[in-house]
Amino acid sequence: MKQIPKYFPLIPVFAAYAIMFLVAENMEGMWQLMSMLLFYCALGQAFNVFMGMTGYVDFGYVAFLGVGTYGMALSITRLVQYEFLGAWIIVIGFGLAMVMSTLLSMAVGAVALRLRGAYFAIATIGVNEGFRFLIEGARIWNGSEGMIFTADLNKVLGRDTAAALCTYWADIMVLVIAALAAFVTLVYMRSKIGYALTALREDEDAAKVMGINVTKYKIIAFITSACFAGLLGATAWALKTPYVFPPEVFEIHYTIEAIIIVMLGGAGTLLGPVVGGLVYGISKYYLSIFLPGFQLLIFAPVILVIIVLFPEGIVGMMKAKTKGTGMARFIV
Amino acid sequence: MKRSLVGGFIVFMFLLAGISFAGAAPDKIVIGHPACLSGKFAKAGEQAVGGIKACVEWVNTTYGGVEIGGKKVPLDYKYYDCESKKEAVTSLIGRLVSVDKVNVVFAPYSSGLTLRGAPVTESRQMLYMDHGGASNEIFQQGFRYVVQTIGPATSYHEGTLDMIHKIAPDDKKVALAYEDSEFAKMVMLGAKEHAKKLGFEVVFERTYPKGVTDLTPLLSALKASKPDFVLGGGHFEDGQLFNRQMADLDINTNGLSLIAAATLPAFYKALTTMAEGVMGPSHWEYGVKYSAEEAKAAGLPWIGPSQEEFMALFKKHTSEDMLPDYHAAEAGAQVLAYVLGVQKANAIDSTKVRDALGSLKFMSFYGGWDVDDSGLQVGHTMVDVQWQDGKRVIVWPKAAQTGKVCYPMPTFQEKAKGVKAVPK
Repeated sequence: MKQIPKYFPLIPVFAAYAIMFLVAENMEGMWQLMSMLLFYCALGQAFNVFMGMTGYVDFGYVAFLGVGTYGMALSITRLVQYEFLGAWIIVIGFGLAMVMSTLLSMAVGAVALRLRGAYFAIATIGVNEGFRFLIEGARIWNGSEGMIFTADLNKVLGRDTAAALCTYWADIMVLVIAALAAFVTLVYMRSKIGYALTALREDEDAAKVMGINVTKYKIIAFITSACFAGLLGATAWALKTPYVFPPEVFEIHYTIEAIIIVMLGGAGTLLGPVVGGLVYGISKYYLSIFLPGFQLLIFAPVILVIIVLFPEGIVGMMKAKTKGTGMARFIV
Repeated sequence: MKRSLVGGFIVFMFLLAGISFAGAAPDKIVIGHPACLSGKFAKAGEQAVGGIKACVEWVNTTYGGVEIGGKKVPLDYKYYDCESKKEAVTSLIGRLVSVDKVNVVFAPYSSGLTLRGAPVTESRQMLYMDHGGASNEIFQQGFRYVVQTIGPATSYHEGTLDMIHKIAPDDKKVALAYEDSEFAKMVMLGAKEHAKKLGFEVVFERTYPKGVTDLTPLLSALKASKPDFVLGGGHFEDGQLFNRQMADLDINTNGLSLIAAATLPAFYKALTTMAEGVMGPSHWEYGVKYSAEEAKAAGLPWIGPSQEEFMALFKKHTSEDMLPDYHAAEAGAQVLAYVLGVQKANAIDSTKVRDALGSLKFMSFYGGWDVDDSGLQVGHTMVDVQWQDGKRVIVWPKAAQTGKVCYPMPTFQEKAKGVKAVPK
């Protein structure tokens, strides 16, 4: 029972997800909007595990979503011929997405995590482009032609189930990933890993002197974050959009969006990515409706102003304001 | 007895109301479109929106509206900016269908974004018209409500090959050298199949990576295969490099056709006389001669504005200095196809309109229109453009041509001396 208050900060996060789900279910025309917002929240939450907790900015983050997409795509397209597997090819796809994103994060981490600050950022910039050119140049996994697998999904699951998977269940899975990422973030925050990561974020050299194996903890956060990205790619990009073209899944602007969401909400906070994802997604959506074509012109300065006014992010500012009050237990 | 009579009367009145409601023409028909107004496809998206607005205005004013149930109904066009991003495509389609209650959804630009929206429209049994996704594979996925207006990628070089087959029957050897991209591969797959069908011999085939800076090894190998003509390219930069290095290596063939690059004015500006005689396929070019007379000659019904009317309406909805390109034309032609589909079905129900579109054939300023059972466009012929004395001349098909083809084109040595590509 003593452990329960430890998990109080999950209440606002899960409440936000539950409200989004209820709005999507009960309000006509809101499902796709909510699924977009959930994607941004999940992206922020997954990215926050590494960037928020370590302070390292990984510009190659989208590559993990990309390989996760490929994991699911490969499972569906290569295993479709084994009819006895049925819907298990989706489960295998998730497994493959996790394995592939973990392997890539280990390979990238082994090199890049030995660097710091700007050097780390520069080293990771090329990861997504490099991986894309590897796939296209070496012509692996269909090379530049990519894979389209709606027909394969129809074959395995039947047309109606496949349609439900693309338009409903894939979104539910994104919700589960977002919730899971929040849970893992809190577990890390409340454990030795979190304390070590906080120490290294504040002063890496001092943390080292204190005997913390900073490389080990950085790798743990990096792999965890990459794993969630892989799952997100497998779900939001492969199941929701049954195709994969290399230029589309290794597009750097998704990394930029992840950075904006985390910064906007509050890096290193639990609630931050949810707030950041919602603010970012809702602003973009309604600006594109009321001012089609001009939304980015308005949105960019608004983001700048928010970041300048609240350098710790919206939740960071809320944390400071609620310090010492009863609310502090919930806003982490 | 009396009570049952009253009950029967009430049921009858409800049925009658239901029938009259079902048969009634709507006040307006709404087209929904998640347009690419920003992001990487912004240029194409802006053109498409301009083309759609131009044709919607033509339908509402000149044509008098869409005839349904004996009544003329105006079109309304609702669009949002999807920023060329897949997440926004699905959320905006959701809004268009549920909140705006559109009657048809026009897909955004590119095969990827078109595919992203397809499951959403399919699940709602909503007609989804594709004017910017050229991949044939979209139509091999079993979608029921996707209908294409743009020609498929595999048909890009069909016209070029048909033309050479007709004007130079002795030229049999073709070389294919193209960018390693999904689009170029699809184009060349179609070209290869069509070439074989026409009896051509593919003497050389090789791809080069994106962002290539030196094509000399590939072009030297191509030269050794002694082709009569070459089909190649992928994008603007590599197309330009292709042409320049063919000149450097003095590789002279009777014809050279480059996808994506050769139709752009910047291509000639960059290469000047080196570009003389170079051809390129396009979905549509300003200057095409498609007209009501051509339609009559081809035995097809005609609908829509003339090219000049389209141009004027397009400028009205965009800016005076903006010229429509094929992105605008194909999107505009899609409006016309939808109008004819609704009129043929005499309904706005997506399933009925989809069925009607399946059996529809017509010609507009964009050219022919006809889709097969899968929704793939098979009635539209690409036009082939050739640079002649610094001007883009449409040389194929005959129904669209603004001039005769110059074949064989002058050699690079002749071009360096100022010889222009002039048809004999």
